[in-house]
Amino acid sequence: MISLKGVTKTFGSIKAIEDATFSVDKGEFVFLTGPSGAGKTTILKLILRDYLPDKGKIFFEGKNIVRLPEKFIPSLRQQIGVVFQDFKVLSERTVRENVEVALAVKGTPPSEWKNRVRDVLELVGLIERATLFPSQLSGGELQRVSLARALVVNPKVILADEPTGNLDWDTADELMDLFEKISKEGKTVIMATHHRGIVDKLNKREIKVEKGKIVGGGESPKRKAKAKEKPPVKKVEKEKTEVKVKVEETEEKKE
Amino acid sequence: MANIHFRTALDYTKRSPFQALAAIFVLALTFFVGTLLAVLVYSSGKALSHFETRPQIIAFLNDDVTAEEISSFQNTLNKDSRVKEVAYVSKEEALEIYKKATADNPLLSELVSPSIFPASLEFSLTDLNYAEDVIDEVKKVSIVDQVGFTASLGGESTLGDVVTRLRTITWYVRIGGAVFVGLLVGTSLLVLLVIISMRITTRRGEMEILSLIGATKKFIRSPIILEALIYAFTGVFIGWIFALILVLYATPNIVSYFGEIPVLPRDTVQLFILMGIILATEIVVGASLALFGSSLAISRVRRRK
Repeated sequence: MISLKGVTKTFGSIKAIEDATFSVDKGEFVFLTGPSGAGKTTILKLILRDYLPDKGKIFFEGKNIVRLPEKFIPSLRQQIGVVFQDFKVLSERTVRENVEVALAVKGTPPSEWKNRVRDVLELVGLIERATLFPSQLSGGELQRVSLARALVVNPKVILADEPTGNLDWDTADELMDLFEKISKEGKTVIMATHHRGIVDKLNKREIKVEKGKIVGGGESPKRKAKAKEKPPVKKVEKEKTEVKVKVEETEEKKE
Repeated sequence: MANIHFRTALDYTKRSPFQALAAIFVLALTFFVGTLLAVLVYSSGKALSHFETRPQIIAFLNDDVTAEEISSFQNTLNKDSRVKEVAYVSKEEALEIYKKATADNPLLSELVSPSIFPASLEFSLTDLNYAEDVIDEVKKVSIVDQVGFTASLGGESTLGDVVTRLRTITWYVRIGGAVFVGLLVGTSLLVLLVIISMRITTRRGEMEILSLIGATKKFIRSPIILEALIYAFTGVFIGWIFALILVLYATPNIVSYFGEIPVLPRDTVQLFILMGIILATEIVVGASLALFGSSLAISRVRRRK
């Protein structure tokens, strides 16, 4: 679904991400873990094409989004739901309007808005807060608004950047239950967090990031299994002649 | 979809009422002055046209002239490209004109009969510069007794002077008005630019959020452009309405002051058609101003990543 290959991103002399390679399968729930400043947010922003890498390739559904022309970035982002640590809700719009905006952005016909907004607000438990403004909500509720906005457009992937960073444990726990529920519905979730308790509780794959480098968990289970079953290149020894046999060639390989 | 953009634009306007009022007032002033100047340009043009097209030459005919001879001479004049609006004035009509002119003193009209007034052919010229040649030619026609310049009532040079002076005034009104309105439009554009730039700066966070959730540039810019259009159209309507009230209020006095010179349409429908044309033009100018101003503001504050 998503993979990074040798991605490097620098800001001036600072290497935020260095030669990062990992992949995430469709429907998978993975954590990006690491201390603050490790590069977790940068990775999410690279996937969202908010940043362009200096080097490397980023694949989204087999397409290298690094080469994606600027005019196609909105359509890429419309396939990705984003939940931010600082909520990033529109402060002068009600809960309902915040969710509706995402539908408007995606070009969903207004006739469908009512039902879809109601469904998603019920899912995140905010149906009774629909007419309130963000200033009238708690941190946990704001994060739910952010999640509702991400979910309402039925995205293929959810990127969550420290969604529990500003929440107490109980609220964070409730939110994580929600994320797990969403994941079980088949959505791919990539969550950046340094909240150890959450990672341990959900027991999902953990991609460890340290000082901009992937130090563990970079390979997806499917890929691992595939690598074991069908090595991409087989060496056949025959009378001291080395023959390379291609087993499979995906679009990613072509890149 | 347009509804959400329009709602957002209206919200922007409501949340910063003083910025909105500043923009609307400046635009309203521009279009108020613009409307009045447009009316002034129309009036001066009409006055000029009135003086240019009124009968300028009168060919007084001999008493014994026949209807055929008059008709033949009239046809000759009609075919002359320098001549326009040829009209025959009979002895009776001449008396009526005299009676009207001497209405203040009925004794003068009682003492005269139609027979003492010659019939005449009155016509105007496409250009006053042809006057001398045409008068000389008409004088040679056998059925013509005398040739008079309309200006004969005030001297040959008077009409030419009036027209020349009016042309100068009209030119000054047009150029001066264009410069003045140009300055006001420039000021409006700057005010619009500043206000929209401020709006974009204060809304940058919102624009970034929209961009991150996949909004296109068009989606993000639409409310900003719509907001500028709201200012422009409100300004146009307020400016135009005030100018219309002023024109309607002043029209009776203006019409009676200028008498037969049609500086403003006397027919209400015609007056509203004139004002409607001005409004339509101003809407186009206002929309262009808003589109240009907001586009310029967006391009100036566009974030470079």
